[in-house]
Amino acid sequence: MNHRSGFGVQVLLLAALYLFLYGPILYVIYVSFQIDSIWPFPPTLTLEHHTDLWQRRDYHAALWNSVTIGFGTGLIATLFATLAAMAILKYRSPGSGLVAGLFLAPLFIAPILIGISSLMFSRTVLGMPGSIFGATLANSTYATAFALLVVLAQFARYDWRLDDAAMVFGARPWRTFWEITLPITWPAMLGAFIVSFLLAFNNLEISFYNLGATPTLPTLAWGALRHGISAELYALAAIINFAVFALFTVLYLLLRLGTIRID
Amino acid sequence: MSNTVRFWLMVLPGTVFLVVFLLLPLIAIVVFSFWRTESYTLIQDWNLDNYATIFSHSAYLTFLARALVMATCVSLVCLAYAWPVAYFIVRYGGRYRLILLLSTAAPFLTGEILRVAALQQILGPIGVVNMALTRFGFDPIEALMYSNMATGTGLVYLWLPFMVLAIYLSLLNFDFALLDVAKITGAGPLRAFVEVTLPLNRAGTAIGIVLVFIPTLASATTSQFLGGPDGALYGNILARQFGSTGTWALGSAMGVVLFLASALALVIVWRAVGDLRRSGIVIKGAPKP
Amino acid sequence: MSDCMLRLQSVTKRFGTTMAAESVSLEVGQTELFALLGPSGSGKTTLLRIIAGLDAPDEGRVLIGGRDVTRLPPYRRGIGMVFQDFLLFPHKTVAENIAFPLKMQGKSRAETADDLKWVSQLVRLTGLEERYPHELSGGQKQRVALARGLVSRPSLLLLDEPLANLDRELRKRMEVEIRRFQLELGIPFIYVTHNQEEALTMASRMAVMREGCLEQIGDKLALYHRPATAFVAAFLGSPNTFEGDVVGVEDGRAEIAWHGHRFWSRAHDGLAPGLRAVCYVKSEKIAFASSGAALAGRLRDTIFKGQYADYLVCLDDGHEITVSAAPDLCHRPGEAVGITWAADDGDAFPAVGKE
Repeated sequence: MNHRSGFGVQVLLLAALYLFLYGPILYVIYVSFQIDSIWPFPPTLTLEHHTDLWQRRDYHAALWNSVTIGFGTGLIATLFATLAAMAILKYRSPGSGLVAGLFLAPLFIAPILIGISSLMFSRTVLGMPGSIFGATLANSTYATAFALLVVLAQFARYDWRLDDAAMVFGARPWRTFWEITLPITWPAMLGAFIVSFLLAFNNLEISFYNLGATPTLPTLAWGALRHGISAELYALAAIINFAVFALFTVLYLLLRLGTIRID
Repeated sequence: MSNTVRFWLMVLPGTVFLVVFLLLPLIAIVVFSFWRTESYTLIQDWNLDNYATIFSHSAYLTFLARALVMATCVSLVCLAYAWPVAYFIVRYGGRYRLILLLSTAAPFLTGEILRVAALQQILGPIGVVNMALTRFGFDPIEALMYSNMATGTGLVYLWLPFMVLAIYLSLLNFDFALLDVAKITGAGPLRAFVEVTLPLNRAGTAIGIVLVFIPTLASATTSQFLGGPDGALYGNILARQFGSTGTWALGSAMGVVLFLASALALVIVWRAVGDLRRSGIVIKGAPKP
Repeated sequence: MSDCMLRLQSVTKRFGTTMAAESVSLEVGQTELFALLGPSGSGKTTLLRIIAGLDAPDEGRVLIGGRDVTRLPPYRRGIGMVFQDFLLFPHKTVAENIAFPLKMQGKSRAETADDLKWVSQLVRLTGLEERYPHELSGGQKQRVALARGLVSRPSLLLLDEPLANLDRELRKRMEVEIRRFQLELGIPFIYVTHNQEEALTMASRMAVMREGCLEQIGDKLALYHRPATAFVAAFLGSPNTFEGDVVGVEDGRAEIAWHGHRFWSRAHDGLAPGLRAVCYVKSEKIAFASSGAALAGRLRDTIFKGQYADYLVCLDDGHEITVSAAPDLCHRPGEAVGITWAADDGDAFPAVGKE
């Protein structure tokens, strides 16, 4: 295989990957605006499915619950991940490896195991029935790992000696953080928040076991899907995909912004 | 206050959180796996019956074996696909690297259930592929939906981004100039890949394999909706213990078995990587040659 | 020292098993430009960080202006610092960077403006105040870093390899500038570098560091011409090395036998007849001599360096010696030459590690 054809094959593979990943999503979005959702050709545009979805009260509550879980998880995961990443990169202390291992461990544990173990733990040991709170905590363990990856990748580009410089010129630790660290690294933190928010917002396998009877969008969708795919699910999928893409655009811009020139 | 003290103060909140809400629950299910359940209540009655049940009923082992085969196949497909893709993004992505990478990850964040729904819309009995086939006078393809093939497709769809990400991060730290060195000293492209690129990215690849293997081994939702009546995997049986049947102790034991299987896979893959120095990874504090 | 501004007392710092500083004691006077010279990894930057308060010593004390600051954090020491790679805050303008120390002190707007004006004129930065660091050239960044270090009129300015990232021309100019600032402000500058040329150009006094220990402290000329240890003798200048046997020691001088030749040199502690010795002679202290030459050989090559030239002399027994002298000596390659040096220009130390 010579260089040119190798390059061509790779371009094709990449294009096929994006088609594979986005084809179904784009199709669902397309279908959600069609009257005939089985064979929507030629297109017959309608907003009917979206307005139907909008009038379903159960989806309102579920949306609110999902946002709550996403927000809570985003805050917890970002806070813990930021603190840990700063400590690991700034102090390079013995024990960094151990801490990083603990924080990244959820990546190597199946989500369903996190779901059932936290269910058993909170019900039996803590005596708490399923709730949004429990689901948020369980999601946070998983999301912290992803948040740490985002934050570490961005913080690695930050020169921690800038903190030293600020301290020498009279800034106390908090002031140093506020004046120097935060203004340069906030995109990393917001990026970590977005990723953990989305993970928890859309999570099924962890949330499912910890929610008790509280509905969220993924659990409602799960319930609906058991009776076969329906028009309101297309609309839901379309809206959520739009939201994810919008937040992902923000994330991309943040990661770009995060590369402040330190030269 | 020394830097070590500061370090521990800063990692303490997250560490305590993860110990309480991740490690303790995992330990709890290990404990509960030696108890028994009676009418939706756990009873502290130390015994090995749950494990005896799992290992004496061929049904459980069959489901586990199926899941292992499925996870292996999905990991291999992801591996074969992710390598050229990640390589291309790092090598030729230039300033578009980040957006190319994030584009592979975006669908992951829309969640399992909506992606399964999207796949159903494509592959299902009334999905667009089969509808098109019948429209144009062909027979619908049954295997598209409700088969192990469909579950496998769904799992690749869901977890491929992990593999791409792991290999991408590994390649990002790979010095492509080494390939030029290999070529100047007489290695062809394939030889250079085998002698230089692959070994130096072996650890990253291994991490990718594990990141895909572990969740697919436990997958329940994808097989539930795409696998059809005979498509149940270990994860489905596990989930059932916490749903309708309420046999939590047995479910805990099944969880422990799943965890051990994941850990075993981790160890096997890591053993295959071998000496990290042969992967170009320098461990801090290791004696200098 | 009566006007001592900085005093280190037996400062010791370990990183794991490596000694970054081993019982370092040091005094720097009120108006000195003091250079800390050493090869990379000798612990000089660690020592600077200990003075700044960025690292805490395991043992020993740090006193600034007579006050014990060993336990004080960096932000309460009132010192200025110029960092390696400048470390300008990338999200702040030049003016904001320079004014940062004033802001931390809570200075009023008027005071800040005055100080900014003063320091901008001092380091010749006027007109660049609104730029961001990445819009500056290397030399301009250097000036901003210096201005930031000086703006709060600290009692002490630390400079950590400040010129390492500048090209040769700029470095020469900045060396002169930094000397000027030091004279104008009358505060001690402590200057860390691995570049001996820089240290010898700028410093009034200097110390040579090696593996966490101060090898020698003193006037720079004394260190250069009268090294007290073998390390300093070998490190400063570009000396020729002769390893031979001590034949005799008298009057502070030693006679060395080296490959059948004999010459005298200054003797340092521990030399006795029969021992091995290493003798260092700086290349510019060796002269060509037509008669009474100590050693004879042939000129192998001349390396022209501009203001001087290195003449590589190959002795009859194959050993090579470098002689630095005026570049216009009309010696030709292959020509027979004799070389000699004064006994006081050689420094002989006991050889270590070999019997």
